[in-house]
Amino acid sequence: MSTQKLKEIIKQVLPDVEAVICWQEGFDKLNVTPIFITSPEQAEKVVWNPLCAQNLASYLPSQKKKVAVAVKGCDSRTIVQYMQEGLIDRNNVVIIGIPCKGIISKKKVQKAIGNEPVEDVSFTEGSVKVKTPSGEKTFAIADVCPSKCTSCQYPTPIVYDQLTADPIQSDKPAESVYADVAELEGKTLEERKAYFLSQFDKCIRCYACRNACPMCVCQDSCIAETRDPHWITQKLSLDEKLMFHMIHALHLAGRCVECGECERVCPMEIPVAKLKKKINKEMKELFDYIPGVNPEDKPPMYIFNVDEAKIKEHKL
Amino acid sequence: MADKGYLPKEKIKEFVEALGKDATVFAPCLEGDTIIFRQYTPDKEISLDRPANTPPKGAIYPQCETLLSFEFKKEADNPQKMDVELKVNTDFPKAVVFGGRPCDARGFTVIDRVFIDTDTADPYYKKRRENTTIVTKCCNGPVAGCFCVGVGGGPAVTEGSDVVMTEVDGGYYLEAVTDKGKAVMSLPMIQDGASYEAKAKAANEKATAAVRNPFPEGADKISAELFDSGDFWGNVIEKCLSCGACTFLCPTCYCFNITDEQAITTGDRIRSWDSCMFQHFTLETSGHNPRPAKHKRFRNRVGHKFYYYPEKYDGAIACTGCGRCIRYCPVSVDISEIVGYLRDPKADPKAWAAKKEDAKN
Amino acid sequence: MTGNQNPYLPELATVTKVIEETPNIKSFQVVFNDAEKMKNFTFEPGQVGQLSVFGVGESTFVINSPPTRMEYLQFSVMKAGEVTTALHGIYEGDVIGVRAPLGNWFPYNDMKGKNILFIGGGIGLAPLRTLILYMLDNRADYKDITIIYGSRTPPDLCYKDELKEWEERSDVNLILTVDNEFPGWTKRTGFVPTVLKEEAPKADDTIAITCGPPIMIKFVLEGLAELKFPEENIITTLEARMKCGIGLCGRCNLGHKYICKDGPVFSLKQLKELPSDE
Repeated sequence: MSTQKLKEIIKQVLPDVEAVICWQEGFDKLNVTPIFITSPEQAEKVVWNPLCAQNLASYLPSQKKKVAVAVKGCDSRTIVQYMQEGLIDRNNVVIIGIPCKGIISKKKVQKAIGNEPVEDVSFTEGSVKVKTPSGEKTFAIADVCPSKCTSCQYPTPIVYDQLTADPIQSDKPAESVYADVAELEGKTLEERKAYFLSQFDKCIRCYACRNACPMCVCQDSCIAETRDPHWITQKLSLDEKLMFHMIHALHLAGRCVECGECERVCPMEIPVAKLKKKINKEMKELFDYIPGVNPEDKPPMYIFNVDEAKIKEHKL
Repeated sequence: MADKGYLPKEKIKEFVEALGKDATVFAPCLEGDTIIFRQYTPDKEISLDRPANTPPKGAIYPQCETLLSFEFKKEADNPQKMDVELKVNTDFPKAVVFGGRPCDARGFTVIDRVFIDTDTADPYYKKRRENTTIVTKCCNGPVAGCFCVGVGGGPAVTEGSDVVMTEVDGGYYLEAVTDKGKAVMSLPMIQDGASYEAKAKAANEKATAAVRNPFPEGADKISAELFDSGDFWGNVIEKCLSCGACTFLCPTCYCFNITDEQAITTGDRIRSWDSCMFQHFTLETSGHNPRPAKHKRFRNRVGHKFYYYPEKYDGAIACTGCGRCIRYCPVSVDISEIVGYLRDPKADPKAWAAKKEDAKN
Repeated sequence: MTGNQNPYLPELATVTKVIEETPNIKSFQVVFNDAEKMKNFTFEPGQVGQLSVFGVGESTFVINSPPTRMEYLQFSVMKAGEVTTALHGIYEGDVIGVRAPLGNWFPYNDMKGKNILFIGGGIGLAPLRTLILYMLDNRADYKDITIIYGSRTPPDLCYKDELKEWEERSDVNLILTVDNEFPGWTKRTGFVPTVLKEEAPKADDTIAITCGPPIMIKFVLEGLAELKFPEENIITTLEARMKCGIGLCGRCNLGHKYICKDGPVFSLKQLKELPSDE
């Protein structure tokens, strides 16, 4: 199992870094939680299984010293994007790459077990068994995974220093990536507006989506709270919520690495990633750019070309 | 008026609509997969299947409310001079909070001590609280993260509620806790409930036994030395993202912000929920911030609930164990585990410092 | 409070005089628009008020005029953030909001018959001013009054007219200092804590009251400890980000005490018993 290999790698890199960021078991068997490992005995606590959803790369820009981090293929796109945008020093990060065949959406499992408390969780190849007071249920991981896994193009990290297992190739067609956006595009503008308004109406402005987003770099100077400029008030109106989410999405145009953290962490279960994915699709069509796949790339909104191949100029 | 009753499940809608005759009803409504306390209207679907994502706190203490409105007026005979007129909203209609859980109802009692039992009572909260009846649904059992029994609560405690309802035999056994609750029991769809009492008691006992208590017997004192240890907090809270999910979902968190929101010549001074997890919560104009690091902010949050508040209010804990902050934390921070460490009689503050030292060597 | 049922509701007040104290500090003298309320208003030295610029917000400032002089209430404001910048744009005759008095006050009755040592820096003289003026108005109740006050440069000294007045009084010992040499400055130079050390006032029967920038307070407290001032005889007045001013909004706490309501005045002894974030 790659958990054993993961522990070995952690112990091996630990002397060279301030901490190794990995996952350990959380408050119950259905939860894992990040751990900042600073001693070999802590390394024994780590786990690697399909519950390891959190994108640990998000912690990198705030680290002051050299650290190691465990990343899945999807998480590694965050690091690539950080490199493109100069948000981390690659020399200060040891990347422990984990080839991943898909993770679990905790929300989907909880729904499937009727929100009962979980007594035990175990995994076999491609499936998960969940024990609750009313019995055991087994689910195919493909049935309880977040949508990003159903079209995963990068099961093996794009950048890494060490790999916990042999690389795996994606078996998902590239066209599947924006399949879920197609549904949105099938709706009229009015329908789309109504859909997003009904979703954002649930927002409680806790900013979990923002703070969990690896690419939200404004953080404490966020437009949602600052009074200079004072564009968004503290009122709880739908207008204000919509404004915040639209700005969040637009700030990620051509930067969103589609890790899905914004949506995973939303306590109100708002599909906050959908808008960002739609924008990413536009960015791909306009600039032929996919965020977080090539460290040498520059995000299209960071550069300016006099002639854009796919933008029709008004020749004045 | 009877203080025991029975309500068949199929009469829930009728019951809620009767409650809403002369009051606004806030009920847990299903929207997609989310359960949110909303102002009830007949087009909404009430769900009592699990505790709502949000507590009903906002029904009495809205996430945002206008404290006062202001309007600038020019004096006709002296256009140089600008007068200000202030208006205050003091009209709070009757309301019912329906379908919250015992932890949610207890949450109001935590806020009551701060907002009402003081010489500078909050008039908005106080009036809404007086005008609100709380009809609580007892829990059949815990969901992930629940630990109410560890903080003096339980799936069927009545503190803070006016009526409690327990699920039995295809319906609910209702018990009035207060005079306000007794008034509810006189509604026509409420049947005689005395014969369900024993069954309800048994169901509540079973539910209580199923809830975990994260704090071992006798471990009720926080170690001051560990509480003061920066190493401890730095270690346990490094993963925190400093978002406000825990505080905004908490039935007892009451910290707020006051801001002026202006439109040309009129505007509102509003009070909105704030979060002690946010970096700018304590940021002073000078740039000085007494709690700049997230572990200091988290320490204050835990301190407020389990240390400072009990000190001020005769041992009462400002946490009702609803578990939402654990359940919905993006990185699964578990406050009960942290308080468990702090209360552990065998806690060794040096153990946390030592780990860091080891790593450096 | 001013008798309002609603503690969030400010009294409307008119600014009757604006004084430019330093390049970035202005003092505002205000009177309530409601003459009856002004007549009945009472407060204690050290209590604070929330000033409102409607549309911008509220901020907390000490009432730095003494309760013995009630023609107006005076607040001094250093231009720093949103509200203070808006206040600096206020002219005589403009209407602002005032919520006052808030918080506790200096235990001036317990100080009767004792020597008083004031140590202030910059705008930190504002809260001391109310007590100094109160004591000067009740001069016979107190023994020696010593004031050590400093700022970065001479133009940064607040209340220059009063400083001159105090300097000339024989019953006040005023020691002024600025951080560095400055053209035309003939008095002392050096940081306030250094001057305190040089002066080495006796701790016997003396109450020390200090306010200034956090770094100054830190070294002043160390200095006073060296001079063997007992902790209960060292009084300071604290600041924090505040919103409600009535102990509810939750941001200015030290443990279970709220600076806005249980403070802002604390003795060092009280502070040491509270958990600190520092």
